Amino acid sequence: MNTISETRQKSLLYLENVSVSFDGFKALNSLSFVVEPGELRAIIGPNGAGKTTMMDIITGKTRPDTGTVLFEDAIDLTKKDEADIAQLGIGRKFQKPTVFESHTVWDNLELALNRSRGVFATLFYTLSPEDKARIEEILETIRMTHRKNEYAANLSHGQKQWLEIGMLLAQEPKLLLVDEPVAGMTDAETAETAVLLKEIAKTRSVVVVEHDMGFIRELGVKVTCLAEGSVLAEGSIDFVSNDPKVIENYLGR
Amino acid sequence: MTSKVPFRVLQSLGLLLCLMFSFAAPSHAQSSVGTDPKPLFDQLAKADFAEAEKLIGQLAATGDARLVPALNAFSEGDLYFRKSDSLVFIGKVAGSSYELTDPVTGASAGQAAKNAVTKIKINNSLRRVIRSAMGGLTLMSPDRGVRLQAADAVLRSPSAENLELLETAISKETDGEVKARMVEARAVSLLSSDRSIDEKRAAIQTIKNYGGRNAIGILMGASASLDPSLKGDVDAAIASIESGQRLWDVGQNVWYGVSLGSVLLLAAIGLAITFGVMGIINMAHGEMVMLGAYSTFVVQQVIRDHAPGLFDWSLAIALPVAFLVTGAVGLVIERGVIRFLYGRPLETLLATWGVSLILQQTIRSLFGPTNQEVGNPSWMSGSFPVGGMTITWNRMWIIAFSLSIFVALLVVMKKSSFGLNMRAVTQNRRMASSMGIRTPWVDAFTFALGSGIAGIAGVALSQIDNVSPNLGQSYIIDSFMVVVFGGVGNLWGTLVGALSLGVLNKFLEPSVGAVLGKILVLVLIILFIQKRPRGLFALKGRAVEA
Amino acid sequence: MISGFVFRALEGRIVAAVGILLGIGILVPALNLLTPPDSALHIPTYAMSLFGKYLCYALLALALDLVWGYCGILSLGHGAFFALGGYAMGMYLMRQIGPRGVYGNPILPDFMVFLNYKELPWFWHGFDWFVFAMAMVIVVPGLLAFIFGWFAFRSRVNGVYLSIITQAMTYALLLAFFRNDMGFGGNNGLTDFKDILGFSVQADGTRAVLFFMSALMLSLCLILASAIVRSKFGKVLVGVRDAESRVRFLGFRVENIKLFTFVVSAMMAGIAGALFVPQVGIINPGEFAPANSIEVVVWTAVGGRGTLIGPIIGAILVNGGKSFFTGAFPEIWLFALGGLFIAVTLFLPKGIVGTIQHGFKARKALKAAADAEKGRGDAAAVAQAQAAE
Repeated sequence: MNTISETRQKSLLYLENVSVSFDGFKALNSLSFVVEPGELRAIIGPNGAGKTTMMDIITGKTRPDTGTVLFEDAIDLTKKDEADIAQLGIGRKFQKPTVFESHTVWDNLELALNRSRGVFATLFYTLSPEDKARIEEILETIRMTHRKNEYAANLSHGQKQWLEIGMLLAQEPKLLLVDEPVAGMTDAETAETAVLLKEIAKTRSVVVVEHDMGFIRELGVKVTCLAEGSVLAEGSIDFVSNDPKVIENYLGR
Repeated sequence: MTSKVPFRVLQSLGLLLCLMFSFAAPSHAQSSVGTDPKPLFDQLAKADFAEAEKLIGQLAATGDARLVPALNAFSEGDLYFRKSDSLVFIGKVAGSSYELTDPVTGASAGQAAKNAVTKIKINNSLRRVIRSAMGGLTLMSPDRGVRLQAADAVLRSPSAENLELLETAISKETDGEVKARMVEARAVSLLSSDRSIDEKRAAIQTIKNYGGRNAIGILMGASASLDPSLKGDVDAAIASIESGQRLWDVGQNVWYGVSLGSVLLLAAIGLAITFGVMGIINMAHGEMVMLGAYSTFVVQQVIRDHAPGLFDWSLAIALPVAFLVTGAVGLVIERGVIRFLYGRPLETLLATWGVSLILQQTIRSLFGPTNQEVGNPSWMSGSFPVGGMTITWNRMWIIAFSLSIFVALLVVMKKSSFGLNMRAVTQNRRMASSMGIRTPWVDAFTFALGSGIAGIAGVALSQIDNVSPNLGQSYIIDSFMVVVFGGVGNLWGTLVGALSLGVLNKFLEPSVGAVLGKILVLVLIILFIQKRPRGLFALKGRAVEA
Repeated sequence: MISGFVFRALEGRIVAAVGILLGIGILVPALNLLTPPDSALHIPTYAMSLFGKYLCYALLALALDLVWGYCGILSLGHGAFFALGGYAMGMYLMRQIGPRGVYGNPILPDFMVFLNYKELPWFWHGFDWFVFAMAMVIVVPGLLAFIFGWFAFRSRVNGVYLSIITQAMTYALLLAFFRNDMGFGGNNGLTDFKDILGFSVQADGTRAVLFFMSALMLSLCLILASAIVRSKFGKVLVGVRDAESRVRFLGFRVENIKLFTFVVSAMMAGIAGALFVPQVGIINPGEFAPANSIEVVVWTAVGGRGTLIGPIIGAILVNGGKSFFTGAFPEIWLFALGGLFIAVTLFLPKGIVGTIQHGFKARKALKAAADAEKGRGDAAAVAQAQAAE
């Protein structure tokens, strides 16, 4: 390695030997996992493999029993709560699309915008021209400009997923965690989502949890397979899907 | 508590009855001293108070239980002497004249005009003397209960005059418990007598060994009049009793706490099902308890009117009635209101609050706003001592009752097929439904079960609380506290929560008072929920979030 | 910045509501004071005081709506904040009695003389001073809300758990204020007030001013509430109500948002209580009863939670109904109130105003859909209009 790479940070997200258990059930078992800056990573694994628990730990919703969780090699995420971690630059999309249904698409994005989030700052906030431009830009990206004044409750399932991704973009995160983004989407929507995620990954790291192998193939990125709370295999999609352990645990023979 | 009053009345009625019986069977209670009591009575006619006191002492010394009614009449002011011959009779007003009876035999002695007789004067100090004399007279009754009561009576108002009688009675007594009580009564009486200092010292030891709050009071009361050389003995005895008593006090407090805890458990256990298992905030839960209490009242009314002999069975009859009534009301509420509100707990809270207002007002319209008198069956009355503690039967039964309901419920939940369906539905409604379980009916019957249990709790609570339309209101907040504190969805949590809150309450009470104690408990729970938002026995993990 | 905050509040409906409220606030006292008692237009003093009481209740309902309708916190203890504000006002009024009490003690209120107090308890000091007392009207409820909320929101107690502990809070206060040695008059509370700022509380003129103040404070709080819910903060608030975890993961401190709203709401409730007390002439621990707080919830629900006008209309309607029923058919009132709770939750979950607004929106959406069809024929717009129906 040359001198430049030594000054550069080695990892964006670093998990080592993370374990957590609920009433004796080990949801994560010495999980170690690294995401590099600018990387797009897919995670697969059977139900109960600990995918969602891992996201809970990264985003501060759950505290690990043991283990290290570092962001940008320096910040200990186990000491922070959800709001802190979001402000550090980690965005999270839930499995079930979660948007503010009684707000318009525009308001949803306005709320997500990476601005001061204090009580008084929000009380006296007025929309600046830059913010307006930024929201319109995101609307273009998620292809929803024509529906900006629509209540989010009236969007279709797929559109809600996209709006949520748009909100994450507005948050300007360095790392985006996306939980099953194409669940319940049509094939066309799935393909478009893959394009969108790849576009997003150009400017930041993205971790995608997905069951849809076709979709992951479409992404064409490094895949990590989790099972029973730890990493089973890691590598390209072809490498992972030919691993005998993965076939036994997840894909089935 | 209303229950206390009828209980007292019953107790004194019982005593009176016993005295009557002992009077009706005079054969055993032959005078041991052999004096004819009749002339002693006649002397009362001309005696002043001091002489009367002596005469009563002599009457008591006869040990003749037949004299009890006359002495009683004397203290009531019903003893008269005939002006013509100065003979003494018991007089009862009969129209414009008096019905006279012989003070010893109780035989009728004809009538006398009002101005032909004079009332024998009585004052309070004489009444006291009479009371202790009566105590002495019944000490040798053939009836064990009467002897025990008599020993207690002497214990309450000890006097040196009874001393010899007591000693005679003790020598004849065969029943261990009665004898022990008499020995104690003798020791207490001895303190105020002119016996030797050594005998008094021994008496202090006897009292000390008996222990209890009363003993401290007796010793303190006696210490002023005792020989100064005994002061050390008295102080030592008091100190020793107190240190023994402290432990018993803790025990008694735990008992009170467990007793309160069992009441909380009763009130909360139905809620542990509707709130804990189904997640329904049933604000009408307290009214279910209230309906159960009113069911008891109605059952007792019917029994009083039609089959008074069954009164002791009234609670046993009321249990299924209350269960069915409240269960049915619960079923109607679930089908009519709650089923439209699943998944919207706050709305359920409001709607059931509305139901509770309607139920309250219905009962108020039907029965009126005042308290209804619900009687205690005989087996719920009275108390018995355990060492230095007193345990009342009604509390005892309520603790036993609430624990058995708890166990029964546990069995239903874990062992019955209905319990299995219920748990299946609460854990995964869709899966349960696709397995062929009729989820709407499971919901309805689970709610009815919770309501029915609240109803039978009401039967028990009717024994210790005022039965009024507001009965439920006083339990609803406490019940929610218990369930939230114990941990939702866990029957064991409810048990532990109820008992620990009960005991905590009773331990705070002596130092800060009942109201402040309750406030403190509420504040503690509020703080506790901050620390453990899911209660003592919380479920953890992902399932909780869903 | 501030001007933008206020300006946003003054949207059409709010301006109209404020106009009506202030109109009533001036017209009713005017008709009471300026017309002769036999005139058809005359409003008797008792009616004015009764309506003044409704306005205080309306303010209380508005305060509850801010936390429940917009933030999703169902407080079953808002009566406590109302009562605390009322007690603060009551303490001022007690001190104004001076030596005119039954026992004629210039410092100690009658109940303290009766209970053998030797001197004024420390927490009564300063309440003879109007400005201090008025500050306490908002500080005390605000402080309680702050402490309570600080603990509750930080440890994420929410939903029904929060409702239950707010109920426990007001219940604990009820028990506390019933105690004689709390120094707040125990059972009887504070009463027999003589005057406020030197004017007799019984005089028609004073009553008229109190009525106007109630209308004015309600209007000001309505504007404040409107400014809050129309700001970005208000949008976050609704976000917290609908998807709390989303707000958290967007980087907002939900506990601070809830705490701020809870405290503001408690202060409003305190003001309502303070205006209530001189108009009804008494404050006693009964105001802390959990049932009272739950009743406030039904006013809000009837009018329409999540709307600002709704709770005001709901409070006035339900209390008007209560005055009518308890006068005419006292037996029926609890049935009616209970039925109202059930009917509103089952059939009118959005309340009166919410339902009207919803119908309005649906019509607009339908029209928009028709327009869209004419233009681009966007099928989705139709679907959305159907969904909105």
